[in-house]
Amino acid sequence: MTTSMPEHAEQWAETVRCRVVSARSFGAFAAVEVVAPAVAAAASPGQFVMVAVPGEGFFLRRPLSLFTVRGDRVGLLIENRGRGSHELARAAVGDTLELAGPLGTAFPIDRVVSGLLVGGGIGCAPLQYVADELRRRGALVTAAFGFRDLRQSRAAAAFDIDRLWLTTEDGSVGRRGTVVDLLEGVDAHPDTVVYTCGPLPMVSAVQRWAHAARLGGWASLEAHMACGTGSCHGCVVATTEGYARVCSEGPVFALDAVAAP
Amino acid sequence: MTGEGQGRRRPAGPIAETQVDLRVRLGDLELEHPLLDASGTFDAAETARRVRGDFFAAFPYAAYVPKTVTSEPRTGNPPPRVTETAAGMINAIGLENPGVEVWLEALSGLTALRQPVIVSVGGNTAAEFAAVVRAVEAWAAGRGDARPVVVGYELNVSCPNVTGGLQIGADPGATAEVVAGVRAETRRPVLTKLTPNVTDVLPVAAAALEAGSTGLALVNTFKAMVLDPATLRPFLGNRTGGLCGPAIKPIALRMVAEVAAAFPGVPLVGMGGVASGLDALEFIACGAAAVAVGAANFAGVETPRRILAELRRELAARGFAGAAEARGVALGDA
Repeated sequence: MTTSMPEHAEQWAETVRCRVVSARSFGAFAAVEVVAPAVAAAASPGQFVMVAVPGEGFFLRRPLSLFTVRGDRVGLLIENRGRGSHELARAAVGDTLELAGPLGTAFPIDRVVSGLLVGGGIGCAPLQYVADELRRRGALVTAAFGFRDLRQSRAAAAFDIDRLWLTTEDGSVGRRGTVVDLLEGVDAHPDTVVYTCGPLPMVSAVQRWAHAARLGGWASLEAHMACGTGSCHGCVVATTEGYARVCSEGPVFALDAVAAP
Repeated sequence: MTGEGQGRRRPAGPIAETQVDLRVRLGDLELEHPLLDASGTFDAAETARRVRGDFFAAFPYAAYVPKTVTSEPRTGNPPPRVTETAAGMINAIGLENPGVEVWLEALSGLTALRQPVIVSVGGNTAAEFAAVVRAVEAWAAGRGDARPVVVGYELNVSCPNVTGGLQIGADPGATAEVVAGVRAETRRPVLTKLTPNVTDVLPVAAAALEAGSTGLALVNTFKAMVLDPATLRPFLGNRTGGLCGPAIKPIALRMVAEVAAAFPGVPLVGMGGVASGLDALEFIACGAAAVAVGAANFAGVETPRRILAELRRELAARGFAGAAEARGVALGDA
């Protein structure tokens, strides 16, 4: 499964310095756009960049999914949830961010007629780029995003997806419950391909739902990373074929290959 | 100190960077500059795939120390395996590797690498260490390379994240047994990588040298723990891990200086939190002939080249005509 993923040759580990040209705040999230022509030219949905945290006192770069790629601009969605992401979320227009990429495997999207995008929290980030590319190819795009509460759900405003269903665990926005509760009522077309990203328990639940609904799909997983380029083996996750590196054998895995937590 | 640096007067003033000779000798190994990669932090093949141009032609390290290889495959520790800490990071990879037979196939693919390879060897017993070296020697003997690919071994008796590793390196007798077993398999230089997780590193260093270790490499990571703030449970899947990065540099410097003072003339590779050229120079000043860069590699592929340029500048600014000349200047009386 993991070995069936396409090899992406155009993965750049070299650091590029990018100017921030747009920075918008959505509750605990920030959507930041940088000018990064080389990254944009090589990028595919699902891939990520390693971003250096500005300022002193930070050691490891942070892996961030490509949120959007439009022209020579690369968009990143950052959830302010730790010291490093707090600094990154403060990026302002005119600032410089140092990043390397695109890295990792991509969501296969060619010849897909209908995509169901299932995201949880910051895991929704890579799904905008998937939506954009599916739409560009004429595919039907439906998205179901789950957030914890009102504050986290403000991230939804950063997305541009026509058919977007929302859930919050506290019911403050959209349907009350998890995004998987919402899926239970969905009768998807058999050609639908599932694209999911979020916490492992959510991805695992989506996997079970898709299996029952006889749908195939892909999951993007997250992990704490050190190198981001396959060197250190620090970011492994359990798959049906053993441990796999999220940074280089992922982040996108076949949905069936994800091992339950 | 083989007469290098130690005891010489500090040069008078700055010199031009072009006058700085970065070449050093690590025992019988001639290195074009003092920087090596610390095992486990830099994968040459993975990096080459992601860098434009001929990466191997401008390989940033003077020798390549791959991730530790063991006789049998190891799946490594359960995730999570890494996270950032104050001024550094913690890891518990657990020596994940495909075993020496598969590993040698990958090494065969690194034909474009012009720098020598120092094989990092791991194991739970002396017999396992010896088995890896025997396999590598058999592989090397079957190749007939004009220039040897493998020029030496680093014995990882000090990994804090595997059963056995740390215990070997904390025990002079067990360390000596590993070194002697390896010594019986190879004539190439052997560096024993020491753990900092001991009260006194000198008895282990002495045991390794008496058993035939050519030189020493220190330090490996410090056994440590990080909690998940949400659950107050250990964050790493292995519960504990090895702490590295700038946070450990002052302790590593102290230990390198102790070993250099106790065993003058022994080839030493110093490491622990090297992130700049000045850091590297400090290890040289404490008696290291070569300096390994570890976690700083994760800051970007440009790191080793930057550190090397900074080292040249730091040497020139202090009037050292060579890296070897600065060796050991922190030792002894002022």
